[in-house]
Amino acid sequence: MINIALPKGRLGEKVYGLFVKAGYEFPGMLDNNRKLVFENEALNMRMFWVKPFDVPVYVERGTADIGVAGKDILLERAPDVYELLDIQAGKCKMAIAAKNDFHDNPQKILRVATEFPNIAQNYYARLGREIDIIALRGSLELAPVLGLSDVIVDIVETGTTLRENNLSVIRFIADLSARLIANKSAYKFKTEAIDEIMRRINCD
Amino acid sequence: MLNVRLRPEEEAALNLRALYDAHGYSFYRMSRFEEYDFYAGKKDFLTSSNILTFTDINGKLMALRPDVTLSIIKHMKFIDDVPQKFYYDEKVYRVPKNANTFREISQAGIECAGNLNTRDLREVLELALLSLKTIASGRKFILDVANAAMIAELVPETQSRNEILKCIAEKNIHELKQLNADEKLVALMTSPKLDANTISIIDSLNEYHEHIRIDFSVLNNLNYYNGIVFRGFIEGIPESILSGGQYDNLMGLMGHKNCKAIGFAVYLDLVERGFSHD
Repeated sequence: MINIALPKGRLGEKVYGLFVKAGYEFPGMLDNNRKLVFENEALNMRMFWVKPFDVPVYVERGTADIGVAGKDILLERAPDVYELLDIQAGKCKMAIAAKNDFHDNPQKILRVATEFPNIAQNYYARLGREIDIIALRGSLELAPVLGLSDVIVDIVETGTTLRENNLSVIRFIADLSARLIANKSAYKFKTEAIDEIMRRINCD
Repeated sequence: MLNVRLRPEEEAALNLRALYDAHGYSFYRMSRFEEYDFYAGKKDFLTSSNILTFTDINGKLMALRPDVTLSIIKHMKFIDDVPQKFYYDEKVYRVPKNANTFREISQAGIECAGNLNTRDLREVLELALLSLKTIASGRKFILDVANAAMIAELVPETQSRNEILKCIAEKNIHELKQLNADEKLVALMTSPKLDANTISIIDSLNEYHEHIRIDFSVLNNLNYYNGIVFRGFIEGIPESILSGGQYDNLMGLMGHKNCKAIGFAVYLDLVERGFSHD
C-alpha cells in the first residue's frame, strides 16, 4: 500500500490532474464532500488531502509514503525527506519586495514581514544582516504600505498585486514549484512502486 | 529471574548488548557529565550544537553528555595502536529536530578504534547488519552504505558546498544539476558505485546481500566522516534507526594521529515509536 498526501487547494488539484493523466485515479477525490481518504484498491494506493503546509510533516513521519509540496514549504520546514522530482507545476518565485521608493539603510535593523520566517532568516543570515522578523499570515503587501515593515519576503507569481500597491521586487531568492517528496524509510522498502509513480508523473 | 515485562526498547537494548558482547566488545559505562570545555573545538563532531549545562558544586561548568563517541574515545588508552572495541547503552541529551526542548535519548552502539584493518571494518558493518536484524525481528531491514571520501573529492569547498550536500541527502538530482555539481557526483547519485576496498568488504558480507544497498544520500557531514558511512532502516520505522561510519579525523583531533576509528549508534527511542501501533 502506498499512501500519498496531496496539498488541498488549487496546486493540489492541478497535481491530482497529473496523477489522473498518469493513470492514478481515486474516485471521489474532486467531489466536494467531507471524505478525507480515498482508496484505489486495484492500484493498492491511498490518497488524501492535507493542508499544504502539513504535507512535509505527514511524509517525514511516514504517515504518507510520498507527497507533493511546494518548494516554499520545503524551504521553510526543512523536513528530512527525499525530494525526488520537480513536478514543474505551480511555478513562481520567492522574492523580497518593498515600496517603489524604498532605500535600504544598512545602519538600521531591517524589518521583514513574511509568512516564511525561516526562509527570511536564513537568507539574511547568509548576508550577515540583522533583521526583525514580523510573522504574518497573509495580506503581506499591507505591511510595507502601512509602515509595519521595510520589506516583505513572499511568493510572487505575476507581480500584479505588488504593482497595484506601488511595491516592486528587490530580489528573487528562490525558484518555486511543486515537488514530489518521499519518506526516507518508506522509499527503501517501496522503491519500485515509488519509482514507477515518479516515472509516470514525469512523462509529460 | 524477576518477573518483569520489558519494554520493547529495553528488550532491544539487552539483545544488542548480548550481540556486541558475543563479538568481543567490552561494555563501557560512563558518567553522564563531562566538563563543558571538553566539547569546545569539537563542534564538527557533535550532531547538535545545543548542550545542556549546569554549574557543579566546585563552580565548574558541566555538560550533560550530548554524545557518547567523544567520551569513549577520550577514555581509550592505546598501546601500539592495538584496536580497542567498546559498546555502550546510554542516555544522551539533545534537542531533537523540530523540538523546542532538550530530550533524553536512549542510544546503544559500538566504537572500534586503533590501527584498524579491513577485517575490523567488516566486523563493524556486520554488527550493524546484525543489530538491524535483531531489532527488526522478522521485518525487512536495509543498510545503506556509501563512502564519504568519494563525495569529499567531488564537492569543492565553495559556498555552494552545503547546498550540494543537502541535495545529496535529499536525492535531489534536479537541484544538484542546477548548482552545477560535478557530473561525476550526479552519476554517483543516479547509478551509485563504490571504491574497490568498500566493495570487497560488502562482497565478503554476501549472506546479507539483499539487505545492503549503495546509496550516497546517507552522507550528511563531511567533517565527521572520512571513509565508509552507513545508515540502517527498518520497515515501519519512519527514519533511520542506525547511523555510523569511519571518523579518523576525530582521532587526530584527540591526539591519536595514526589511529582510525569506526562506530555506529542505534537510536533505541525509535524502537518504541515504530512498533507501538501493533
